[in-house]
Amino acid sequence: MARNAEKSRRALLAAPMAVFAVLLVALPLIYVLATSFVQNGNFSLHAVFTLDNYRALLRADYLLVFLESIKLAFWTTVLSFVIGYPFGYLMARVNRKWKPFLMMLVIIPFWTSALVRIYGWKILLQANGPINGVLRALGLIDKNIRFLGSYGSVLLAMVYCLISFMILPCHNAVDKMDFTLVEAARDLGAGPCRAFLTVTLPQTLPGILAGCVLVFVPSVGLFYLSDIMGGGLVLVGNLIRDQLLKVRDWNVGSAMSVVLIVLSAGVYLLYRKSGGDDLGVM
Amino acid sequence: MKKIICLLSALMMLFSFASAETINEKDEPVLNLFAWEGYIDYSTVIKPFEKETGIKVNYATFSSNEEMYEKLSAVDGGSYDLVLSSDYMLNTVRLAGLMQKFDPEIVTNYGNLNQGFTHQFFDPDNEYVIPYTSGSPLIVYDPSVVHIDIKGYNDLWDPSLKDSLGLIDDARVTLAMVLLSMHQSINTTDEAVLAEVAEKLNALRENVHVLEYESLHNYLVSGDISVAYTFTPFVALALEANPDLKVVWPEEGLGFGIDGLFIPSKAPHAKNANIFLEYLLRPEVAAVCAEWQAYCSPNEAAKDYLSDAYLNNPVFNGIYERMGDLEYVMNLAPEDEQKFQDIWTTFKLSL
Repeated sequence: MARNAEKSRRALLAAPMAVFAVLLVALPLIYVLATSFVQNGNFSLHAVFTLDNYRALLRADYLLVFLESIKLAFWTTVLSFVIGYPFGYLMARVNRKWKPFLMMLVIIPFWTSALVRIYGWKILLQANGPINGVLRALGLIDKNIRFLGSYGSVLLAMVYCLISFMILPCHNAVDKMDFTLVEAARDLGAGPCRAFLTVTLPQTLPGILAGCVLVFVPSVGLFYLSDIMGGGLVLVGNLIRDQLLKVRDWNVGSAMSVVLIVLSAGVYLLYRKSGGDDLGVM
Repeated sequence: MKKIICLLSALMMLFSFASAETINEKDEPVLNLFAWEGYIDYSTVIKPFEKETGIKVNYATFSSNEEMYEKLSAVDGGSYDLVLSSDYMLNTVRLAGLMQKFDPEIVTNYGNLNQGFTHQFFDPDNEYVIPYTSGSPLIVYDPSVVHIDIKGYNDLWDPSLKDSLGLIDDARVTLAMVLLSMHQSINTTDEAVLAEVAEKLNALRENVHVLEYESLHNYLVSGDISVAYTFTPFVALALEANPDLKVVWPEEGLGFGIDGLFIPSKAPHAKNANIFLEYLLRPEVAAVCAEWQAYCSPNEAAKDYLSDAYLNNPVFNGIYERMGDLEYVMNLAPEDEQKFQDIWTTFKLSL
């Protein structure tokens, strides 16, 4: 009896959360899903089920757009790993005095709008901006480099915005690792490289994978950074936006969104299948 | 069971939101304005109006014509008293029956408008829409780094402009530029012409450096591009930042647009909206709006109040000589709209 009361009390406490989850997450998603299977605008009771919106996606150029997004997400993830892993490692291994400082370096940018920070990069990178100024003063270039609009500038913005999602799980993995294992490896004659590759890397692999998923999944859908940097790429996000606002075909736009959601869910499932934990970062 | 209760309470919340939005038709001194952000200045335009009439202006914003239309049709032409929108969308709204006529008894100064901007397709009998701003995308370039004399669109294909061009990231607007360069209608749906457009656009690939919607002037001023094809206010901004830039009214023809104000069919404070329209049409107010907006003013009477800097600015004064050369980007059927998007997507993927 007492247990039942306890149970219903808990349910009551959880209810507001559940209402919000349904209202803000589940209902819109169901609406998108439903819209993607009907025709002529919004989902209504008279709507007829159709797969035409998905058929409309079977086009060579849309496939290229998806590949373009995946390519950008791939390079973003690789670069984030190459820069983020050593940083996370360092953060976990430095002495206690420096650790909060490094942590602040990662966290503080979170408190500023990504848009503001990216516009900051734009000013730094522009043809008559400080970076070109320094390069010119050093005599390294005689004509300003037009960084903006290049693929590299887009990649820079992507990595810059998402790298903390790589650093934090990597840091946690290194932090939790038992370093006596590395010592043992070294005692048994392994060089630093070998010890790292055979002990540290496999031990921290779950953190790396978590970081990769956390960077890759949002990268696929992120399109405004390319727009801001003048990259002019066509990413899945652009395609969905244009379907909704320019072509005004909400059904095909919804179908694209569903494909993107399925793709993201697929990456996550793959990660769970391969033994990944839940994605708790901190 | 728990899930069902959750779902039900969620739905109940939804309905309670919906019913809260009732139309207030009381005679209160309020005007609900719906426009892009920053289209009507508060301190120089709205505030003096509030002071003069005692009508409080509530300024709600949207980010695109399409968003405006979604919201306005969701409330069936109610809630808002005065809405700003672009030509093609004004037409859509009028045809959907979501507009009401303005009151000529109150709006007595419609005649201040230049005849070139009235009797437009979105309001053939001058009954519904008050044109507010107008503009054409123009070419603007930096003569210190461009060594050819640009006169029209076709010059943009010049090989000396390799990797130095900024274009508007919009299928309709930029394909319109290509169509005009071929002396075709910018609203063509002819497959053969569109195929030619795709080919011609593809030949421009080498010259394009940036595709952007509303900050090409920054790229031009910072030296990241040498030539920009962009909208009127951005051309004006570029020129303001660097007066040495050259503005070109392309010889082949011009794309054109008018943004105008209308009163929705079920506006709760339609009278106040009419009073505000009369206010905006006054020459001294229209002049303030034009200078502040950096668009071409459709208000002929405002000329007496515009500064010399505005009147002599090539961005604003060129339009009157080209009145016969203008063409609107019109709304097309979704399948035709799709053709333009497809060409644009293919082009962007090839960059």
